Amino acid sequence: MADGEAATEANAGRVFAGFNALPNGAAVWDETGALLFANRAFRQSFDFALPVGLPYARFLTAVAASREWRLPVPPELWIADQAVAFGDESEADYKSADGRVVRMSIAPVDGGGAVTMLSDVTAAERREATLLAAKEKAEAVDEAKSRFLRAANHDLRQPLAALKIMIFNCVRETDEARRRELLHGMDVSASVMEDLLGALLQIGQLDAGRIKPRIATFQLSTLFERLEIQFRHQAADKGLRLRIVGARAAVSSDRALLERILSNIVANALRFTDVGGVLVGCRRRGDGLRIDVVDTGRGVPPEDQERIFDEFYRAADDRRLEKTGLGLGLNIVKRLSDLLGHRIQLKSAPGAGSRFSVFVPLGNVWHSEVVETEVNEAVAGEFVGAPILLVEDDDALREAMGQLLDRWGVDRRSAAGAEEAAAIVAGGFRPRLIIADYSIRMSTGLDVIAHVRAVSEAEIPACIITADAEPGVVERVRAAGVPLMVKPVSPPRLRVMMHHLLFERDPV
Amino acid sequence: MVDAFIPIGSMVPLTGPSAADGAEFRKGVILAAEEVNARGGLLGRPIKPIFADTGRQGAEDVVAAARALIGTHKVHAIVNGYNIGPQNSEYEPVAEAGVIYIHANTLLQHHDTVMSDPDRYFGCFMTDPADYWYGPGFLKFISWLRDSGQWKPSSNRIAIVSGSKPYSIVIAQAMAASAAKFGWRVSFGPEIVQTPTSDWREALDAIRATEPAVIANTHFYSGDLASFQLQFMERPTDSLVYLQYGAMHQSFSDIAQGKGVGVLTSTVIGLLRDEMGQSFASRYVARFGEGSTPHIGCQSYSALHHYVLAASLAGGSAGPGGFEQNRKVAKALKAVIYRSVSGTIRYDEQWQAAAPYPVVSQDPSLGLPHLFFQIQDYRKPLALIAPEPFNTDRFVLPFWIDARG
Repeated sequence: MADGEAATEANAGRVFAGFNALPNGAAVWDETGALLFANRAFRQSFDFALPVGLPYARFLTAVAASREWRLPVPPELWIADQAVAFGDESEADYKSADGRVVRMSIAPVDGGGAVTMLSDVTAAERREATLLAAKEKAEAVDEAKSRFLRAANHDLRQPLAALKIMIFNCVRETDEARRRELLHGMDVSASVMEDLLGALLQIGQLDAGRIKPRIATFQLSTLFERLEIQFRHQAADKGLRLRIVGARAAVSSDRALLERILSNIVANALRFTDVGGVLVGCRRRGDGLRIDVVDTGRGVPPEDQERIFDEFYRAADDRRLEKTGLGLGLNIVKRLSDLLGHRIQLKSAPGAGSRFSVFVPLGNVWHSEVVETEVNEAVAGEFVGAPILLVEDDDALREAMGQLLDRWGVDRRSAAGAEEAAAIVAGGFRPRLIIADYSIRMSTGLDVIAHVRAVSEAEIPACIITADAEPGVVERVRAAGVPLMVKPVSPPRLRVMMHHLLFERDPV
Repeated sequence: MVDAFIPIGSMVPLTGPSAADGAEFRKGVILAAEEVNARGGLLGRPIKPIFADTGRQGAEDVVAAARALIGTHKVHAIVNGYNIGPQNSEYEPVAEAGVIYIHANTLLQHHDTVMSDPDRYFGCFMTDPADYWYGPGFLKFISWLRDSGQWKPSSNRIAIVSGSKPYSIVIAQAMAASAAKFGWRVSFGPEIVQTPTSDWREALDAIRATEPAVIANTHFYSGDLASFQLQFMERPTDSLVYLQYGAMHQSFSDIAQGKGVGVLTSTVIGLLRDEMGQSFASRYVARFGEGSTPHIGCQSYSALHHYVLAASLAGGSAGPGGFEQNRKVAKALKAVIYRSVSGTIRYDEQWQAAAPYPVVSQDPSLGLPHLFFQIQDYRKPLALIAPEPFNTDRFVLPFWIDARG
């Protein structure tokens, strides 16, 4: 008997040791809810003591007070719920303060009492979340693909059908004028398809989350300039006025995406305006800016004002119109503005035109990007735009000097001889400076200078370049009061000479 | 046999109209050399500065100085502040000798010359940003005053008048080119006035007729600019007045006195007022006396320290003909981002010139700050009003606008 007891005790010791070796926490409570045993992993899960005999309710209170676990309901409620359910089978996951996810399982023990188990399920949870995200992404891509195909089917069919008919007719057409007309029609159909594919591709990229905005501060004026260039001709062709009011603000947005938003709105405005025009401007609103695109078009009835931002939405009377309306532009506007967090507002009434507004945060002008960081003398040198006539009969030298002057941004005309120079001036070119070789075919640089000055009726500054520093030549050039440079002329020397002749009163 | 010291050349106007600046550039080089040598020199060898006078700073003067330093003194590098007139012609002897040349000429031409033949001009570096950047930098500055509500301009008009030096013309054209981008309209100019001159009345009358909110004069001689300001004050308009660089000098305030209060000016390379800048200024004044001006000497001072760091990293320097080693030094100069007492010097890979903050680099740790000052009390140092985080003072509306408004 004693041997049996000793054996049982030894076994119990081994059982405890085994429980302590478990990676998961385990605790056993008796039928009154007092702690009988907690293994090492269980004890290490909490920073409070777990003496044998600790009542289950006190354990719950200590867990709540430690704030180690994020409880789904207020602590008192959680304690009460757990205490009432003591001994019932349950399982719950808790996010811990350090970011782990702990699963607490409770199971009843035969004859009363309960066992509580703790396991770390962080990795499993994370895997599950990743899988779920991947699944959602795959579904979104799949959905985007389906939409793409539906859209392609929907809108590509029509121009494609037209194109096939026109090709068929064109092959048989013998009348040149009619043939040209058909070819033009084919060109239009092809560009409609191109636009549609481009728009669909953009939407596809947006759906797939492939467009990542790059927020920077930049001057709105540069973007407005581009809009003007993009739409000037289109507006003129339709007989509409396009007015873009200069902006001075620096805004904080994605330059390319904001441009796409505005160009889609302007394109839309031009499409639905038959008389009058489109105005683009902006106003300060709080710490932001409201960019307005105002048109004198047909306007949008109140019941349609939400829907016009939907995919493939078209105004009821649009179907009879030229087939350039794809019904995607404003949808792209909406998606891009959602992506950038820019609010879009529409104010419109049938027959009274529309005002589309985009709300953009203002940027700090100090941080605004100056677009041209690639500065060089062709952009900003002192000689930029200065009209200069270069006369040189040596082809290689004329070419080399010409390149140098181009690099300095000069408005340059080159002539190989006196006649060519005369023709350039006869054509209306008025140089501010003449650079001439001394000996050019049949003539001298001095003759060319005299001729150009006579035609222009002005004492245009000039200099002579010569390889021939013979005293007679030097004397003649001096007598004419024209400065002389001897070849080879280095760029710095030429630069100094040009500077003095163009900008200083007394040439050196 | 190894020479006892490494000869470093410096081309400075010790005589002529810019002798005052030249003296400071010389002091900057001397102080940097003393500090380097106290630390053990360039990889153990002391450096020895050798000065060549550039006098009136014309192309001939500067080229002769470069030839003398290279031919006679076999310098490993030429490090100095600015010379106004050589128009890069001094790059030729430098390129032929294959030595390193660091200057603060503040010229856009430097970009053009270096990029036209990067292999030939590998050793030519400009330790400050090109003059061009004064243009967009200034436009940003006045737009900041406007947008932050510190100043309500009477209109969007700006008048630009330039002196006849290339530097002034480039800045004036750059200002005109960037104006529209920031919502300004050039109502007058850029008008190029023959300089030097002390008579600006004709230009000022034409300017007043356009009622500009801003008047910018990009000429840089302090005496001429003082005349401009005095003549402006004969009939002031509701305009901010910006006078390029020359108004930084004490000689401007000596002439303009109270009538210069309110004037704005700037520099793309100046001395910061932080702990590093102040510590340098006190070492400089302690070494050279009360009358010395550390905010000019800092240019050559920083350039020489930067050179020594780069040459040490490259494993040493070389004299004329030492192309291979000096190419390594040039490469190291581009790799070493140096926080000088003027701010960060980071050489652009292609331009081989320091990039300015905030116009090119929006990161103050990667660009040399373009500092904006205002004369607020003509007997005291200028107020440093922009850009953050380097400013120490606030902009004050000029009294001639105040009185009228």
